[in-house]
Amino acid sequence: MAKVSDIVLWDKPGERVLLLGNQAIARGALEANIAVYAAYPGTPSSELTDTMAVVSKKAGVYMEYSTNEKVAFETALAAAWSGLRAMTAMKHVGLNVAADTFMSAVGMGVEGGFVIMVADDPSMWSSQNEQDTRIYAKFANVPVLEPSDPHEAKEMTKYAFELSEKFKHFVILRTTTRTSHARGDVVLGELPEEIKQGKRKFGKFKKDPNRFVDVPANARKFHPIILEKIEKIREELNNCPFNWIEGSENAKVGIIAPGLSYAYVKEALAWLGVDDVKILKLGTPFPVPYGLLEKFFEGLEKVLIVEELEPVVEEQVKTWAYDKGLTIPIHGKDLVPRVYEMTTRRAVTAIAKFLGLETPINFEELDAKYEKVKPLLPPRPPSLCPACPHRNSFYAIKKATRARAIYPSDIGCYTLGLLPPLQTVDTTVAMGASIGIAHGLSIAQNGSLSEEQRNPEKQVIVATIGDSTFYHTGLPALANAIYNRSNVLIVVLDNLVTAMTGDQPNPSTGQTPHGMGKRIPIEDVAKAMGADFVAVVDPYDIKTTYETIKKALEVEGVSVVVSRQVCALYKVGQMRRRGEKWPIYQVNEEKCTGCRVCINAYGCPAIYWDEEKRQARVEPTMCWGCGGCAQVCPFGAFEPVEEGSQ
Amino acid sequence: MREYNIVITGVGGQGVLTAANILGWAALRAGYKVRLGEVHGMSQRFGSVISYVRFGEDVYGSMVPEGKADVMLSFEPVEALRYVNYLKEGGMVVVNTKPIVPVQVSMGMAKYPSLDEIRKVFEEDFKAKWIGFNAEELAEKAGHVVTTNTVLIGALTQIPEFPLDAEHVREVIKISVPPKAVEMNMKAFDLGIKAAKEILGL
Ligand code: SF4
Ligand code: SF4
Repeated sequence: MAKVSDIVLWDKPGERVLLLGNQAIARGALEANIAVYAAYPGTPSSELTDTMAVVSKKAGVYMEYSTNEKVAFETALAAAWSGLRAMTAMKHVGLNVAADTFMSAVGMGVEGGFVIMVADDPSMWSSQNEQDTRIYAKFANVPVLEPSDPHEAKEMTKYAFELSEKFKHFVILRTTTRTSHARGDVVLGELPEEIKQGKRKFGKFKKDPNRFVDVPANARKFHPIILEKIEKIREELNNCPFNWIEGSENAKVGIIAPGLSYAYVKEALAWLGVDDVKILKLGTPFPVPYGLLEKFFEGLEKVLIVEELEPVVEEQVKTWAYDKGLTIPIHGKDLVPRVYEMTTRRAVTAIAKFLGLETPINFEELDAKYEKVKPLLPPRPPSLCPACPHRNSFYAIKKATRARAIYPSDIGCYTLGLLPPLQTVDTTVAMGASIGIAHGLSIAQNGSLSEEQRNPEKQVIVATIGDSTFYHTGLPALANAIYNRSNVLIVVLDNLVTAMTGDQPNPSTGQTPHGMGKRIPIEDVAKAMGADFVAVVDPYDIKTTYETIKKALEVEGVSVVVSRQVCALYKVGQMRRRGEKWPIYQVNEEKCTGCRVCINAYGCPAIYWDEEKRQARVEPTMCWGCGGCAQVCPFGAFEPVEEGSQ
Repeated sequence: MREYNIVITGVGGQGVLTAANILGWAALRAGYKVRLGEVHGMSQRFGSVISYVRFGEDVYGSMVPEGKADVMLSFEPVEALRYVNYLKEGGMVVVNTKPIVPVQVSMGMAKYPSLDEIRKVFEEDFKAKWIGFNAEELAEKAGHVVTTNTVLIGALTQIPEFPLDAEHVREVIKISVPPKAVEMNMKAFDLGIKAAKEILGL
């Protein structure tokens, strides 16, 4: 199979290919002749941004990894103001970061099509909460399109640009994990000439202070404009190609299925063997087009709305029905759970109940059988990789603070420092919040250095934050802590890449998709801001890292230690590609006393316990050769023995 | 064929996604409608993972519902057991018997079940057929442990009524691995086929 970056650029209309939902959206944006793309990565949206990064040069599209979602939003928005087609993408919580600009600028509208892709994460596979972006859309009065499969995701992206341009309004393309991270067959469409030739498109901003300056006198005009637009769009969506009525025309029962739920409903009906149902497939959960509702409700005696998360469609439908004086039962969240993601099982169970049928499988029996299996299962949560530099940083922090500090941390793979044996993550709230929380804890428990009364018993607080997160929202928090004279240590876990979402670059990396940007060393920023102590360490040198942290803890004020070592997963990937080898460590049986320090205090996943010999062992296929174990073992039992090339 | 459902389980980093992708492309090239569901982000870092491969004339969602998988392909025995409830009655499991011990087990916080215990659950409680062998050993024989997933896919193609042609799948593997690794992977594929045939008595 060809490389995905090639497939996304293939000039082969009609070709059937297998693409990830996010890649299909990238293709859709290209088919729509997009000019500017800016985003901050966030699971499950990241592959859209990464795909744009690899195809942008050839397609003549400007693409950037912005430092956060608000900045990305503003970059793309300004391009859309300049008449270009522009897009930004983020995960659901990213919209919270961009919300300030989003809510304020919506009234100004756009010139070129502007599409905001937001990927929700029901069931929180990789997120800190489970918010439903459709509520944001409703809040802002912005239409939201929601695909039911990868091919539709591509088609909808094109449509989204057209809709946005037609009404000069923002459009949200909302996916969930299961559309963004589903692969499906996608039929390629035509690429515009400019994309094929890789021609960079430039726009022109026409000044209009009455529109683009948000002073109250202007802003006051916006709200009625927005409301007028959304009602016009509601009208328009009666003819949206992604909304339709299907199934048996004379059916007495109807099911409304927005977005991906449509796939689950179809599957559930087939599984139940039921076909005497009318279905309203809704690609636009907000605003729900009333004309279509009117047609759909004709002849129905009861209706079920199968939607994931919040009752966004349900509330609109019920309001509409009440105003119409309709009295037939409308079910929704009474039969479909409001938390966690939709599944076929959930859809089948809700529909069976709605129709008074048995489910095709006795799920309770299956669950009971599985309950007996559970006690046999050892947990296997994700963990910091072998050779991960963060493990060493946490290990050194814990040792230097004798596990007695409070450890606010942040969003990134280092959040996994929460798990045993490291357990050096006490709080994680949102991007960049570690520094703000650390400051607040310090103020609450120690007092500020600028105060006369302080607590004589100092509570040690050590915050950890990654490089990308530092530039995302750590900067203003750091300025605040320094300015207000906090007493905290901030360890920036700088692995020179945004690792958790797939190794995207950031200001600490310096590299951009177009070549070298300008690298901004974190220590320079900390010094320039006036931190009271700044140092850079290599966490692969555990002893020096430990000593530096000890020293930093003695300093009153804000200390910043930059713990810098390239991400192990990234490095190993690069080495593998170049065919390079690394040493594999093994336990010398003569020397190992079975003290378990390497397992119980350090916890590299390549190290396991040999029950029979009562000694530690290294799984050679997992060792990435950092030598951390050799520094940690009090008896010098770990030795590099051979070259690996895993 | 209306639908065929495969679940692939293992530990993040073992190549579960790659295996799903190969089967997905093979199904696409065989003319089926295809859906793959996969895990990204945090869960991939040495945690437990499950991927779904669905194809046929009538597939919609990307996740296989519990009790509906025709077959499970598993890279690690405990990770097979963790998702046993996805198998349909009479389903099959093709499993690499080489364990990867979680840190929690090494720390003494949990126990790793024996292979017999795991097999018993599949065969007795869930009425499934068990095709277990050390695929990593065969991969090493083929040239490198990274070919473990090719060994397993080879074995998978031999199970009764598997709807994709083994040669067809082989072609996709050929074009999806780096050119210098093709030979090694073909060897691994054959070793997988042989292992499954022996176990199935073909
Ligand atoms: S720390 Fe060293 S001596 Fe202790 S169990 Fe590990 S290898 Fe053996
Ligand atoms: S050298 Fe030691 S600590 Fe580093 S990856 Fe290998 S086993 Fe783990």
